Amino acid sequence: MEFGIWSLEFQFNKVRNLVIFLRRYFNFFLFLLLEVICIVMVFRNNNFQRTAYLNSANTVSGKLYDRYNNVQYYFHLKATNDSLVTENARLHNMLRSSFDSMLTGNIVKTDTIRHFSGDTSHRLTGTELRRYLYREGKVINNSVNRAMNYITIRRGRLQGIRPNMGVVGPSGVVGMVRSVSDNYAVILSLLAKSSGTGSNNFGVSARLLRGREIGTVYWDGADPGYAIMKDIPRSVKLQKGDTVITSGFSALFPENIPVGYIDTFALADKSSTAYTIRVKLATNFYNLQYVYVIDNLLKDEQQRLEDSTYSLIK
Amino acid sequence: MSILLRNIIRFVLLLLLQVFVLNKILVHQLISLELYMLFILLLPFNIPRPALMLLGLLLGLSLDMFMNTMGIHAFACVFMAYLRPFIINILSPQGGFETNMKTPSMISMGVSQFLIYVSILVFLHHLALFTLEVFGFGNLGYLLLKILFSTIASLVLIVLYELLFFSKK
Repeated sequence: MEFGIWSLEFQFNKVRNLVIFLRRYFNFFLFLLLEVICIVMVFRNNNFQRTAYLNSANTVSGKLYDRYNNVQYYFHLKATNDSLVTENARLHNMLRSSFDSMLTGNIVKTDTIRHFSGDTSHRLTGTELRRYLYREGKVINNSVNRAMNYITIRRGRLQGIRPNMGVVGPSGVVGMVRSVSDNYAVILSLLAKSSGTGSNNFGVSARLLRGREIGTVYWDGADPGYAIMKDIPRSVKLQKGDTVITSGFSALFPENIPVGYIDTFALADKSSTAYTIRVKLATNFYNLQYVYVIDNLLKDEQQRLEDSTYSLIK
Repeated sequence: MSILLRNIIRFVLLLLLQVFVLNKILVHQLISLELYMLFILLLPFNIPRPALMLLGLLLGLSLDMFMNTMGIHAFACVFMAYLRPFIINILSPQGGFETNMKTPSMISMGVSQFLIYVSILVFLHHLALFTLEVFGFGNLGYLLLKILFSTIASLVLIVLYELLFFSKK
């Protein structure tokens, strides 16, 4: 009996000591709790594909950035106009009417009707399938001097934007859609510091226009005008100014979109088998005003096929 | 103006200034202009510590929302808010700062004391912020230079702010 009371008192003492301990160090524990919350947020956010709500695509910050951009846009009209005219000229040069076939026996028939009519007979006889759909987006916020840079655009879920779509600018690759709200979308810029390996890094699958070797382009966090390309074997003859284009291997970007131009290249050491190439980026991230979001219409099909194949192998 | 109202206005003002002015200015890759944490530095002396940390979290998260850096600024702000009372304790004279001066400023603390207080906490804030942002010590020299230069830039901004909103009260 006496022993029971004694142990109860002992228990009580322990609880009281615990309470005193907690109260004395309450601030410290609150501090730890808050920091753990922050750290969890940071790492949850680093997980790609996730739709985050507390970001610049939400209603409050989206609207504020929109208002701000309305004013600021005016001062960039000249540069924006120049870049759009340059792009128009580039596209005109790609039109079929800009080429003249010298072979008289070989008449090229261009059937454009199919593209503009939804009628069944045309759809059945046509062999071409639309694979990529471009949608324009107005840039309302952009940064270049952070370790991870994001771009906010005025076009969201209601206007057909989904996470993990590729984004290009008037002159080259820009990034990929990270998260969307109803009317805004946040794009992870190509200017997102990474080491080029690992699943959490954003790199663009690219290749050389001349040699057609495949590599990866990623940003090393130093200069917003330049990126790093690796995996190009040392046997390749490189030259300053060579064009680097998208490979079309990833579902994000079509083939042949400019990524950048070779600036310098070097071997890390004598024994290394691959070049480290410094690439001057085609896109000028400082004055980006319009971007195009690329919807890959066959992406789901490709993804399903690949997934089912992998599961068969397993 | 009551202390509460003054701080609410300061919160909004500093946030807007940070998002729409300072973040748009590009000085150099190594220098990022940060002024928003001045809100934490200028809260009254007698504010309870839990409130201080929660306000730090709120401020950090608000900025993170605009900058898509979920949790990074919040982490740095809470870190700074937790350490603020220790720094004030170290710097305060024997009897504490004059009780009629409720908030830290150049007058209530003295110019040199205030500058020491601000520079230590801003440095700690930047240390936490950029370490977490870069995530890793792979490029240690770059990280240290960025912390150093950004701290100097922030100090200049804070002194300018103090001179602009100089209250003789």
